[in-house]
Amino acid sequence: AVAMLRSLGSLLCLWALQLPAPPAGTGVAARGLDVASYRERVRAMFYHAYEHYLENAFPYDELRPLTCDGQDTWGSFSLTLIDALDTLLILGNVSEFQRVVNVLQEGVDFDIDVNASVFETNIRVVGGLLSAHLLSKKAGIEVEVGWPCSGPLLRMAEEAARKLLPAFQTPTGMPYGTVNLLHGVNPGETPVTCTAGIGTFIVEFATLSHLTGDPVFEDVARKALKALWKNRSDIGLVGNHIDVITAKWVAQDAGIGAGVDSYFEYLVKGAILLQDKELMSMFLEYNKAIKNYTKFDDWYLWVQMYKGTVSMPVFQSLEAYWPGLQSLIGDVDNAMRTFLNYYTVWKQFGGLPEFYNIPQGYTVDKREGYPLRPELIESAMYLYRATRDPTLLELGRDAVESIEKISKVDCGFATIKDLRDHRLDNRMESFFLAETVKYLYLLFDPDNFIHNDGSVFDVVITPYGECVLNAGGYIFNTEAHPIDPAALHCCRKRKEEQWEVEDLMREFYSLKKNKKFILKRASDHGEGAKGPEDASSEKGGEKRNSRKSSHSLLSCPSQSFNSKLAVLGQVFLDNT
Amino acid sequence: SCSRAKDVTMPAKLPVNFFSTRSPVIDLFRGQLDYADHLRQDSEIVLYFFYAPWCGQSIAAREEIEHVASRLSDQVLFVAVNCWWNQGKCRKQKHFFYFPVIHLYHRSFGPIEYKGPMSAVYIEKFVRRVMTPLLYISSRSKLLDFLSNYEPGVVGYFEFNASPQPPGYLTFFTSALHSLKKDYLGTIRFGVITDKHVAEEISLVHSGSVYLHRHVNASLIYPNDIMNYTAENICKWALENREMLIRWLRPHGGKSLLLNNELKKGPALLIFIPYNPLAEIHPLLDEITKVALEYHNCNKSQAAEPDPQHLGDTDSPAFDSSVPDAHMKLSETFSITKYPCCNTVVLPQWHSISRTHNVCELCINQTLGVKPNKVHVPHCNFLEIEAALDSFYLQEHTFFQVISNTIECSNFLSFYSPFSYYTACCRTVNRHFLSFISSEKTIFQTPKVAFSSHGKKGNTQHSIPHIEDRNCFIPDLRISGTNITGLSCRTNKTLNLYLLDSNLFWIYAERLGASRSTHLKEFAAIVDLKEEVHYVLDQNQSLVGSSLENFIKNFSILYSPLKRHLVDDSSVHFHEQRVITEVTTNTFHDTVFSSEKNVLLLYYAQWCGFCASLNHIFIQLARLLPPDNFTVARIDITRNDLPWEFMTDRLPTILFFPHQRKEQSVKFPEDFSVNVPNLLKFILHHSSFSSSEPCTKECLHKETVLQQGHISHLEREIQKLRSEISALHKAHDQLEAQLSEARREEHKLQQQKHTLEKQHKTLQLHSEQLQATYDQKNQELLEMAEKLQELADASENLLKENTLLRILVAAREGKLQSKDEIKESLQSEKTLSEDNDIQISKATATLEEKRTDNTDTIETQHSSGNRTE
Repeated sequence: AVAMLRSLGSLLCLWALQLPAPPAGTGVAARGLDVASYRERVRAMFYHAYEHYLENAFPYDELRPLTCDGQDTWGSFSLTLIDALDTLLILGNVSEFQRVVNVLQEGVDFDIDVNASVFETNIRVVGGLLSAHLLSKKAGIEVEVGWPCSGPLLRMAEEAARKLLPAFQTPTGMPYGTVNLLHGVNPGETPVTCTAGIGTFIVEFATLSHLTGDPVFEDVARKALKALWKNRSDIGLVGNHIDVITAKWVAQDAGIGAGVDSYFEYLVKGAILLQDKELMSMFLEYNKAIKNYTKFDDWYLWVQMYKGTVSMPVFQSLEAYWPGLQSLIGDVDNAMRTFLNYYTVWKQFGGLPEFYNIPQGYTVDKREGYPLRPELIESAMYLYRATRDPTLLELGRDAVESIEKISKVDCGFATIKDLRDHRLDNRMESFFLAETVKYLYLLFDPDNFIHNDGSVFDVVITPYGECVLNAGGYIFNTEAHPIDPAALHCCRKRKEEQWEVEDLMREFYSLKKNKKFILKRASDHGEGAKGPEDASSEKGGEKRNSRKSSHSLLSCPSQSFNSKLAVLGQVFLDNT
Repeated sequence: SCSRAKDVTMPAKLPVNFFSTRSPVIDLFRGQLDYADHLRQDSEIVLYFFYAPWCGQSIAAREEIEHVASRLSDQVLFVAVNCWWNQGKCRKQKHFFYFPVIHLYHRSFGPIEYKGPMSAVYIEKFVRRVMTPLLYISSRSKLLDFLSNYEPGVVGYFEFNASPQPPGYLTFFTSALHSLKKDYLGTIRFGVITDKHVAEEISLVHSGSVYLHRHVNASLIYPNDIMNYTAENICKWALENREMLIRWLRPHGGKSLLLNNELKKGPALLIFIPYNPLAEIHPLLDEITKVALEYHNCNKSQAAEPDPQHLGDTDSPAFDSSVPDAHMKLSETFSITKYPCCNTVVLPQWHSISRTHNVCELCINQTLGVKPNKVHVPHCNFLEIEAALDSFYLQEHTFFQVISNTIECSNFLSFYSPFSYYTACCRTVNRHFLSFISSEKTIFQTPKVAFSSHGKKGNTQHSIPHIEDRNCFIPDLRISGTNITGLSCRTNKTLNLYLLDSNLFWIYAERLGASRSTHLKEFAAIVDLKEEVHYVLDQNQSLVGSSLENFIKNFSILYSPLKRHLVDDSSVHFHEQRVITEVTTNTFHDTVFSSEKNVLLLYYAQWCGFCASLNHIFIQLARLLPPDNFTVARIDITRNDLPWEFMTDRLPTILFFPHQRKEQSVKFPEDFSVNVPNLLKFILHHSSFSSSEPCTKECLHKETVLQQGHISHLEREIQKLRSEISALHKAHDQLEAQLSEARREEHKLQQQKHTLEKQHKTLQLHSEQLQATYDQKNQELLEMAEKLQELADASENLLKENTLLRILVAAREGKLQSKDEIKESLQSEKTLSEDNDIQISKATATLEEKRTDNTDTIETQHSSGNRTE
């Protein structure tokens, strides 16, 4: 195995030597891309696909662009419509958003005898409905008095989520992959679930719990996350598939891509959304192992989860979310370096093949397709926020040109079945409108409300008190549905905090200080257990110095000096 | 149909024209590589543009290629080949990792890949280099031109008199082409001399010798005896031995370590100038080159080599003798002047576009002074210069209108001291015409040593005359030696010099703090990667040789007066209504230190997820805190540099600067969760409240102010509560409505229940009746069954009798047989048996009758059974 690794290493080196060859793109970069015109082209792309879906495929889940009809794929929920809903608002189409909200309220029924993927239903349906619910006031919908703690879309999301709960009734707390929406888990259902199918709930479920006040959703999501954490290998990696009854790993490939991807993503996003140190510390441990065992020359490979030996020297299209995730936690240099590697693959084919063999520099048999996935564009959007590097806009340009030239057909946009010859397949996945188009548009629209840096905000009066909303910092779920983190602080817990704040404010207006002020230590559970760890701030400070952690887990490193010059493909070596 | 639709696929669309049909570029959009090769035979120079139709970069480069083609189409054949179309020859034969790829052929030589910027001027320049890889140097002056260029030059000498082509010429020609393969920026220039006398200028005697010119080090002649005379070798030799006094940096846009590798070598001076590779002359570049040459010129006496610099001077018109040269000479000649202290002042320009400046040299003349202790102090006191500037300022109208090439001087008295006066000499200068030399007005050219910059607050704008060089004269010869000549060897802070084309790479200048507003894209910065600092040449100064020199000198001296440049985010707009004050580098001091309030400052970055999700908490806090005493502020630390002491290595970081003790800032402890109550406690803990001392009037006043604040706060609170109550009311109404709705529905349900109960009762009755009839039928059936049983029994009996009878008959027959044998004896018995026979037949007949009867009843039983079911 070691020998194999070494030979692989040398192959990678060869590949790396080929890297400095790409053409100079700077001529275009210097003159600057016409961002506005690309933004309009993305908008036109959206409507071309969206209108053909409504005309030819609704109420089916997806449009089939070559035969110009519809089909149900993940259930029977008019999936493309739910998924595209918040994209409408991001594009500024308020009236259509309102119309679709009404259509969904009347038309979508979850009491159906359908076997649905727990994972997909959560990220696309629950996530889509939640984000639409949270954005509905912005979209000019007259909301209920209790909003954002109640509302029709929230009730739909809750209903959909409740249909998924039976899947979590396992000895380990890790959910089954499939559930029947009417009857619960089918007898004889396979207990094998992929890692991402277990660890991709916390964003939606915690939001649901905070809004509705029912803790059951967050609890099952946390339990599943912890079960995965408990079952990681000795070297700190998780495999691809696990038996949720026996907790035995069925597929032992460890990597950052298909089958695992959004587990890592949700550890980070959950930590940010809930200010949760425990989730973050889990991610940081994984991150170490990933760097140690799977990272080679800014590529991430697949390794055996117990031994750490390379099993597949492959880059997967789905892995391209990683740089974006890294930028969220401040690892911008590494993110950019990896992104530039992935971008070379795009330049070779006009898209990212599902699998790309790194040493051979070519696609992998049976995995040559590109279903118009969003991940690389997603990363470009995050990185553009961080660096304003024109290279990232160039990727956006390339994506628009490629998708329009290759996959646009009369009836929508078709999946590329084979990137080698650009043959098309009769499918347009719902994530094309939910994610690919959304991230592209956001890349070209730096002033979009989604990019709000906190300089504007809304104040909402709820029965629980006054609440600040839409102050930016939206967390995208893994299907690109934005969640406003401020909304999680609006509902049931609001009241307790308010009384405490009021007491403190009285102190500000009195001349004499009466009390010592005790800070609440951040607990592992966000706002969970508190009490014994309380200490006065100064003592806390002293303790902190003596303890091992030099900085808070919930923080990013500030960027190094040379990041000023790390644009247009330039990378710097020593700051890792 | 469903499964069929699943299998539906569609082949890629057929390729179409990529270039328009009217374009001078031949577009082989079906990838006919064979035809492309065929075309090559007809043309001396061919450019191939391999593209993929879906590729954004190819699309962007298309215009550029068309532009070049429209200019060169009479000399160069432009062929575009679609190298993606999978039925095409090109795709089958070539395997590209990116698009577009540009290949050039000079006759059979090639391919030479172009890897430079995808910009028409650069491509055209390169194509032209491929067309004429060798420059013909016909005269002495041309040779000097050729050698004085900043790019390294290789010269070959070939006598063309005897044979049609002298030996080695072709190899030399090929090596020139070869160098373009390696060195796509074309930094090495190749020239050829045919004239013996010209060749002698650079001591070339033998035809076939090759000469590499170097400015600082000794030039070289290709060692024929050591290395084989091949194209590759010559090219390699030139590349290895060339002098890189100043290098162009042209990042190609892909992942690259270019800057990393260059900047790790040590501090670097990056000079950004707009560059047109096609332009005939580059005055600014020439000026910079001369500075670079001077800087690296450690050994001034290069007797062995003809100094092209010098030759150039004698050859060319006067203005070519540029500032650095003049500087050097003058500083030697007039090392001591009678004016102890001078400064250059640039007057405001009429139009910002104007390329002329009015420059005045302002000198303090203290010879009349009665300040004995100061007369011999050579230092140019900063205060004095400021005072002089102020005085000068008031007189400026005198000089304002000057547009003249002669220097006009005037003296005027100081406003501050009657014993000193100032001399100001002014003239108009043109950027391209910086001939300052003037024999008597030596004041201009005093050796300069910087004194620390006076750090004027605010930015010195164009409209105010400002101190240009901030230099004055110190008659210390050792230090006056800090002129730039050979400085690179004398300092331990050696700079590497780099050029960047600001048409392509202005973004790096912006990153280093170049203002976005300037339309003149000239900028210079010294970047020290190791120290993590960079210095910027004041952008209000024009980028000329002298300012660069001063910049370099100031960097090199021991106690450098240069200040670390802090990049400021100029895009921040001030909103008065913002609850959170946005702080930038420039406003940091005013907002945080000068303000009379307690300041809570958040360090954040837009990209950091942990920061963005706290926005709402800080907004809440800012809305709560009394605005008269507290400022909640934040600074985007990736776009705004701060002095080291205020930098932070983690984000978010929250600092509290208490009023009156601003220097004692405290950091919000990282272990605690960031929420409103915690932040309030933190502020309360550290904010400076007057302690419980006996109350004076002042204190009473304070208290009233405080209480008023409290009252307004409470009023706000009341407002909030009111709206909350109204929200609750609304919610209540909504609930009420829902409740009454529910009640109505309940009522309805009750009614429905009643009717249902009625229906239920009737149904019950019905079912009872049915039960009764059912029982009855059942009874009947039972009876029937009994009867049937009887019948069955009877038939069984009959069957038994039947068999009995058969046995009897059989027995009788047996007896009859035996009777036959004994006929006679049994005659009397015969009649008896006949009687018996008749009886038997009768019995069987009745039996048969009964059987049919039996089947009939079974049938009726069946049908009745069906009915009961």
